Amino acid sequence: MTKIKVVHLVDDTTAGGVMRTLDYLTGRPELTGCVEQSVHAINRGSLTIGRIDADVIVSHLTVSWRGLPGLVALRAMNASARLVHVEHSYTRAFTALNVARKSRFFALLRVAYSLFDTVVSVSHAQADWLRARSLVSTDALRVIQPQVELGALTKIVRPTRKPRVIGAIGRLERQKGFDILIDAFRLCPSPDARLLIFGQGSEKARLEELSAGDPRIEFRGHAEDPAQAYREVDFVAVPSRWEAFGLVVREAKAAGVPVLLAPVDGLLDQVGDGAKPVAYCDTKRWANALEDVLRLGDLSTFATERAATEEESDFAADWHAVFLGDDMAPSYQDAA
Amino acid sequence: MPRASIVVPAYNSADTLPATLDSLLAQSFSDFEIIVVNDGSTDETGAVAAAYATDPRVNVVSQANRGLAGARNTGIAAARGEYIGFCDADDLWAREKLAAHVEHLDQNTDIGLSYSGSRLIDEEGLPMGAAQRPRLKGVTGAHIFKRNPIGNGSAAVMRRAALRDLAYRPRSEPSRDWVFDETFRQSEDIECWLRLALTTDWQIEGVGGSLTMYRINGNGLSANTDRQLAAWERVVSKLRPLNPEFFMRHEATARAYQLRYLARRAVSALDGDAAWAMVRHAMYHSLVPIIEEPIKTVTTIAAAALLRAIGPSPINYAVRLRAGIASR
Repeated sequence: MTKIKVVHLVDDTTAGGVMRTLDYLTGRPELTGCVEQSVHAINRGSLTIGRIDADVIVSHLTVSWRGLPGLVALRAMNASARLVHVEHSYTRAFTALNVARKSRFFALLRVAYSLFDTVVSVSHAQADWLRARSLVSTDALRVIQPQVELGALTKIVRPTRKPRVIGAIGRLERQKGFDILIDAFRLCPSPDARLLIFGQGSEKARLEELSAGDPRIEFRGHAEDPAQAYREVDFVAVPSRWEAFGLVVREAKAAGVPVLLAPVDGLLDQVGDGAKPVAYCDTKRWANALEDVLRLGDLSTFATERAATEEESDFAADWHAVFLGDDMAPSYQDAA
Repeated sequence: MPRASIVVPAYNSADTLPATLDSLLAQSFSDFEIIVVNDGSTDETGAVAAAYATDPRVNVVSQANRGLAGARNTGIAAARGEYIGFCDADDLWAREKLAAHVEHLDQNTDIGLSYSGSRLIDEEGLPMGAAQRPRLKGVTGAHIFKRNPIGNGSAAVMRRAALRDLAYRPRSEPSRDWVFDETFRQSEDIECWLRLALTTDWQIEGVGGSLTMYRINGNGLSANTDRQLAAWERVVSKLRPLNPEFFMRHEATARAYQLRYLARRAVSALDGDAAWAMVRHAMYHSLVPIIEEPIKTVTTIAAAALLRAIGPSPINYAVRLRAGIASR
């Protein structure tokens, strides 16, 4: 049997989550027997992606008006290939906060998505939105939550102690809502509590300004070894303004670290199993939630259990079905 | 089940409620219900509403006074329609208003709030010759914040799904959701519309025509400009954490527009000192209104200055020439 030739197109090799998910997907041993995967980096908005020697082309590109002619050309020049798009960026809350003219934006997405045979959503919440807004036809839509290598995280041994250290892990960008977290934390009186912020980004100076004068808050920069970050913190706060999926929650669960999160977009998929919803962009309610954990010292309501690993095989099987273009997305074994 | 519901919050409006309900019952689009919320009125509002309830399209809900936001929320909770409109109990709807909004929402599934322009009427219900002719298309959160094209509380018809996206349940609330924030007694409209623009992915758009008759009430215009400003400032501090960049970019200009609006109200109430204070305050925050809307801004400044310098006679003269200084 000849292998299915899959080419992944990316336009942003710096986006941590996308590249790590791709590394994980292209490295799946279950797939190497029947699928040959490679990754092509192109310039954002490129008009000349051209003809690609592949059975399946998977776009991880950011859809934009500027990039739309390039997508049309991609479809036209690769008429016999299966075209798949993975929507890593856009969500309901992204649209609410970042798009001024919403119906114009939806028109863009409808046109762009219609060029693809399959659109893969990275969370059920995102898929619900794509469906509710009629952005993707239901039969072209699949949901596959991203996966990354979690091995090192699952081996962390964590002491049980009164929770003192809050972790914020992610790029220092407006999306992550760390400004809300800092303001909320500053309202918590506990003198021995700490907030450790791991990550880098364009908001760093502003966040440092918000933290000025509170020695309990520390900026640790990008954590080269995520396991080290998860070892240092007692629970993780994810106050994001929007989030297509939110890998940080998956990682924290794997590390057995409880999570407080904003009930928005893809984070909604991950509520439960140690992740508890707090509030969306509400400083006071975040402060109350943090203080509850710090003061009561009780994380039992999170019912933390380590994430099961069986999801990983689903991930490979689901992608295999997408590569094959199976309408019913059968299990990996059936398809092979 | 009716396709549309019209929520009529009514507080001590026995005098004006009949005209309001007559205008609603005369709508050309006929598949609707009216929900009158008698918000703890101490006048004959309850009896007037009850008399109308003999019409099967009219339902009356009574509650202890909760304010405009609380009355609207109660109306929303009782409404069964797919589209839900609001008409305050002293305003009127043009005969074709509901039909225009139903058509607009039917044709554009991305739109969550459809509104129209308004004509202004006086206490006797007579046209003042002035109108609110807002921007209708390409409306963004910044437009809502700065100029509020929706204009008044009787202009909007909303999609139920959009109301659902706005709804929340405060801890103190045992019985039903809030769409409008009941902690506001002023600025509850702008808080809700801005929250719709900033926290949901619904488009806001207008239809042509002046389809609402919005009553300008001469009483109580003065004095409370400070309270109005305080409520507006509370809206800003409530919503700022959602999108700090948005507020950083638009807040000063929006504040200048809000102060200009309050200055115009103070001019209408012939309070020259308050009007001049508002105008000075507005110009301190932003000169953008002079560039974006030079005539209206300069007129406001001139009217406030005149009123303060030589009293109300030039203003009264101008009002006689052309009513409408109270329009936004």
